[in-house]
Amino acid sequence: MTHNGISRYSMEIATALLTGGIGVAICYGAWQVGTGWTPSGPDSGYFPFWIGVLVVAGSLVNLLRTIIGHRHKDEVFLDAARLKSLARFTLPIIGFAVISLLLGLYVGTTLYVLFAMRLQGHYAWWRSLASGIAISVCFYLLFELVFQVPLLKGPLEHAFGIY
Amino acid sequence: MNNLSLLMDGFATILTWNHLMIMVIGVMLGMLVGVLPGLGAPNGVSLLLPLTFTMDPVSAIILLSCMYWGALFGGSTTSILFNIPGEPSSVATTFDGYPMARNGEATRALTLAFMSAGLGALAGVVMITLLANWVAQFGLKFSSPEYFAVYFLAFCSFIGMSSSAPSKTLVSMMLGLAFATVGMDSVSGGLRLTFGIPDLVKGISFLVAVMGLFGIAELMVTTEEGLSFKGIKSRIRIMDILRTVAELPRYWVSLVRSILIGIWMGITPAGPTAASFMSHGIAKRFSKHPERFGKGEPNGIVSPEAADHSAGTSALLPMLALGVPGSATAAVMMGGLMIWGLTPGPMLFITRPDFVWGLIASMYLGNVVAVILVLATVPLYASILRVPFAIIGPVIVAVIFTGVYQVANSTFDFWLLLFFALLGYLFKKLDYPVAPLVLTMVLGHRAEEAFRQSMVMSDGSLTVFWSNSLVTTIMGLGVLMLVWPLISKVVGLRGWRQRLHRQKPENHKPSTPDSRA
Repeated sequence: MTHNGISRYSMEIATALLTGGIGVAICYGAWQVGTGWTPSGPDSGYFPFWIGVLVVAGSLVNLLRTIIGHRHKDEVFLDAARLKSLARFTLPIIGFAVISLLLGLYVGTTLYVLFAMRLQGHYAWWRSLASGIAISVCFYLLFELVFQVPLLKGPLEHAFGIY
Repeated sequence: MNNLSLLMDGFATILTWNHLMIMVIGVMLGMLVGVLPGLGAPNGVSLLLPLTFTMDPVSAIILLSCMYWGALFGGSTTSILFNIPGEPSSVATTFDGYPMARNGEATRALTLAFMSAGLGALAGVVMITLLANWVAQFGLKFSSPEYFAVYFLAFCSFIGMSSSAPSKTLVSMMLGLAFATVGMDSVSGGLRLTFGIPDLVKGISFLVAVMGLFGIAELMVTTEEGLSFKGIKSRIRIMDILRTVAELPRYWVSLVRSILIGIWMGITPAGPTAASFMSHGIAKRFSKHPERFGKGEPNGIVSPEAADHSAGTSALLPMLALGVPGSATAAVMMGGLMIWGLTPGPMLFITRPDFVWGLIASMYLGNVVAVILVLATVPLYASILRVPFAIIGPVIVAVIFTGVYQVANSTFDFWLLLFFALLGYLFKKLDYPVAPLVLTMVLGHRAEEAFRQSMVMSDGSLTVFWSNSLVTTIMGLGVLMLVWPLISKVVGLRGWRQRLHRQKPENHKPSTPDSRA
């Protein structure tokens, strides 16, 4: 049994804390708009507040079940190898989001496919770049021309006069 | 019978070349989506929804529902040929479908699966045809408290019927409800839970949530396990197909039983996935040769497939007639209906019978079209999976991002997408159910509205939910569902469900090493 890596036990706790935290945020946001009763019925925050309470309650139960029951202590959630595969997949996606925000979806797609194919598939630079460009062009044809749906564009397209 | 004439009207509405073409396109897109990992039925329908905004509702719903069938069939294809379920509801098909294909009978496995699926779906549609009006009439008696009671029943069923811990299901559902309340409050007009972020004024779109939870998160889980798709080559020969079709009546017991299970689990919000597992488990239990299951037993394919598809179709009945979706995809379709300005529920049958019966008629035709198409194009789709994941994965992600952007042209949605991806990843790995989250996000507003109106009607007293026999019955059923795990534990039935669910193999892990060519 390998114990290298993040255990499921810790992740269960972390996730319960995460959901609990979201629950608390919900309660807080609901409290901000009022959780009482107005002459015309329950206030805006009434429903969300109690939902938030249930989220916190459920998260607490999950937390306690894990800790008190010592559940999943020996299960590995993520080991080094899986983390690497996961990171190789997920980090480029975050990069994709950032780049698309700044430079538009077409540039973003091209660069993302380029890096993803390089990182995950170890393809040659030129092949990855060619695929990236090909896919971007396909998207342009499909979405802008066939479906008439404009996609996010950035400074590069604006320089060419495409809006 | 009145229903029959309405159905004929429905057929008249949809039998145009335009609609037929839409059916074909829908099925083929659906198959593509069902076959590719990370793009399941809820996700695929979500991706297509923004593109339907310019279509008329009848065409749009035909496209979406045919896509749904196509996705279900596509999911079965990968289950049988690659031992990789393309859909959660096709996991049970891997138990006997893959072994049969491995024994050289791929065509037989595929045909059994598709024909059972087609029959299951048709049975579901017939049931809808017969019951739809009755349920809608019944629903007309509903007022706000009854509606809320039905939603309550749905929520409780999820908690009671889920194989995950009740507290986890509760968290998942409540999060969905909370996400639904973000943005503008429709009653008071004020803003809620926006925390000063202007992009949250429009709320959190369930489409973005689905694409994160079912799309990116699914891909994350798949990538982590380092999947490679080595599948069984399939050459479809007509003679094999026909021979298998002739063989099908032998399994009529399994078919009927599975269809009934599926219809029941589709109408109550248990869903196609639960239906397929339950059906396979029960088939094994009642079989004279249980040891054959898991090795390529035909009943082991017929049962889950028929149940899966009859449940998937039946889930549309409560969605259409009462406005309560019975599955994640039904929830997304309902979201679509609402975006197009149609409110599912009894009033829809009265104000837009052309739409409702057009949809029901299209379900008959769509299934027939789907079965034929799917048998004809299986090798094509199987070959798509041979494209290395390092290429397909990024393309799918790029498609998802463009889909997200089309929802509201908001770049903030990218971050929401990533948030839901993280949440979905954690939830999937830690055995939190994800479908309830989507369901409650779609239902959230209606549930809250029903609650608030009930409160107004009763001047703030919760007793309104016990005020008449109808609402009390429904609430009672809900409470029963909620405490069912406790009851069955006491009575000793709990092990039965766990034993059924324990048959589920680890998500996406092939049961044999990748030495298969």
